[in-house]
Amino acid sequence: MNECRDLLKKLGSMKAVAGRENMAAEKIADLFREYCDEVKIDRFFNVIGLKKGQSKNPGNVLVTAHYDEIGLIVTGIEDSGFLRFAAVGGVDPKAIAAMEVTVHGKEELFGVIGTKPPHLIPPEDKSKAVKMEDMLIDIGYDGEKARELVSIGDMVSFKNPPQELLNNRVAGKSMDNRSGVATLIEILKELKKLKHDDNVYVVATVQEELGLIGAFCATYNIKADLGIVIDVCHGDMPDAPSDETFPLGKGVAVAVGPILSRKDTKAIIKLAKSENIPYQIDPETADTGTEAAVHSVAREGIPVVLLSIPSKYMHTTVEMVQIDDIISAGRLAARYIAGRVKE
Amino acid sequence: MFENIKILTQTFGPSGREGKISDTIRGLMEGHVDEILSDAMGNLICVKKGSGKKIMLAAHMDEIGVIVTYIDEKGFLRFGNIGGLPPFIILGQRVRFESGVTGVIWYEEDIDNIKNVNLGKMYIDIGAVSREEAEKLVRVGDMAVFTADTIKQDGKIISKALDDRIGCAILIELAKQNPDTDNEIYYVFTTQEEVGLRGARTAAFGILPDMALAVDVCDTGDTPRCKPMAVKLGEGPAIKIKDRSVIAHPHIKDRLIELAEGNGIPYQLEIMKDGGTDAGSIHITAGGIPSGGVSIPTRYIHGTAEMVDMNDVENSVKLLKKFVESKF
Repeated sequence: MNECRDLLKKLGSMKAVAGRENMAAEKIADLFREYCDEVKIDRFFNVIGLKKGQSKNPGNVLVTAHYDEIGLIVTGIEDSGFLRFAAVGGVDPKAIAAMEVTVHGKEELFGVIGTKPPHLIPPEDKSKAVKMEDMLIDIGYDGEKARELVSIGDMVSFKNPPQELLNNRVAGKSMDNRSGVATLIEILKELKKLKHDDNVYVVATVQEELGLIGAFCATYNIKADLGIVIDVCHGDMPDAPSDETFPLGKGVAVAVGPILSRKDTKAIIKLAKSENIPYQIDPETADTGTEAAVHSVAREGIPVVLLSIPSKYMHTTVEMVQIDDIISAGRLAARYIAGRVKE
Repeated sequence: MFENIKILTQTFGPSGREGKISDTIRGLMEGHVDEILSDAMGNLICVKKGSGKKIMLAAHMDEIGVIVTYIDEKGFLRFGNIGGLPPFIILGQRVRFESGVTGVIWYEEDIDNIKNVNLGKMYIDIGAVSREEAEKLVRVGDMAVFTADTIKQDGKIISKALDDRIGCAILIELAKQNPDTDNEIYYVFTTQEEVGLRGARTAAFGILPDMALAVDVCDTGDTPRCKPMAVKLGEGPAIKIKDRSVIAHPHIKDRLIELAEGNGIPYQLEIMKDGGTDAGSIHITAGGIPSGGVSIPTRYIHGTAEMVDMNDVENSVKLLKKFVESKF
């Protein structure tokens, strides 16, 4: 448990804004190397670990979890030195006012998203949310110095590193989806203790937040017989619809829905029951919005299972998960892979 | 080059009906490449053979337009959009069908507020007085494009369909200049970009290039009270950082910046919040193809009078030439 928590904190402290994952690719590769037979980074910075199976004629299982995070991109530099920006991925403007950020310019620069003090907001604007195009990042420099260090297109990441809370909970930026990457490593660890026939490819994928880009590459390049996608789902919180949210600590959410492999999903639920691994059912009516949508139509179609870690406050800098759910996801996926019988 | 731009912008070719424009481009490319092919999606693929890296340059040859969905008993045509059509821009415009038949777009005048006008409340009038008469000239499913002159004035070009015939003109000019390189260059004139980057997807799968650039238009942020964007007309080609469909591969965008700086070619950096390009579908094809873009700053995209600066056009040719000539 402590090991997993430390790992998640390490992962959550890495910076990998979608499209510039090269900032963290090597670090993820190092984590995989401890458990894999081969590790490589592809041209799009997907990090691919292979743990070979014991069969002479092994199948391929492809487990993906994206490691990119939402962030911002510099779109302009004002003469006053303030930086204009746009969102990379789904960023809620309400949730970023007064945030601390890192601007990845020629060097890493500390910045803040400044907001007008309440005293200076005219009464008629008090109840209005600030629009993203009206916000600016302040790095403390004037225009000349700012232009020397920052250029249009530089990425900006949110600062909040993970913090421990009670009940094995961790909150911070990028729990979506470093919890998934932590699960990949949990799977590798479990597999070390188990025998498995199939080759297992674990892939930390890129640019999920921009349209599942990394998964398009991985599912084409690795010819898989089974796909497993690890991502986050909404944790329960006050005022959120209970049918779309899942309590933290009650186990991994196993998705059930039209694009997911009925056979594998049923079998994995059965396995969770027999092994006493806590799980919840996540009904998905459409394409799930996750990499599972890409798996399901890649090449000739890959039967795919979606396992999710409940996370509160998704796409904010205080995303919260519970370590127990990561561990249950890792155990369940690893045991399913190990128990796979070839047809 | 202006003569080519004029020919290209005035040739009929909405998405899915690129036959004429494809023939025109084929004529202009002949003699400058080793091979010209056309695939099932209608993409025109012109190959300059080489033993080095395979570089795909994509400019889409389709343009926005309208499609007839219904002809009423009085001979008025109801229509849908081919590509993105802001209703307030097309009001009162002329459209021309492939056959040459011209129509006028107007709207049902009994709506309370002009803000509520949408394509469903608009029609095309070709002057027919009955369904029978209209059907002699036009059928349901026929497409038409907007008509507007192509003009050069004070170093700027004003025309319809610069999106993306200007990209096509740039590729043709580049091929004419015969880049000095071992790299294998694929000049690809793609189809159906305006309806979802469709042609580029199959073209890229067929070619499997080592890298790709989309040569397309991008917005500017230099007109009165427009949305902020750090691209201006006339300040150089825009090297794509990001649009809605792609984040340019860091190696590609870095190489373009290096080449522009090293050769004294003015350039700008593009982050376009709306709109995608062929790079969006190319980069996720067949296991991933590193892609980026060189964009021509363009005002009034998807209007019937788009505007580009010839300096930007010429500098785009220079930058692309340096790119395809560089070693990877």
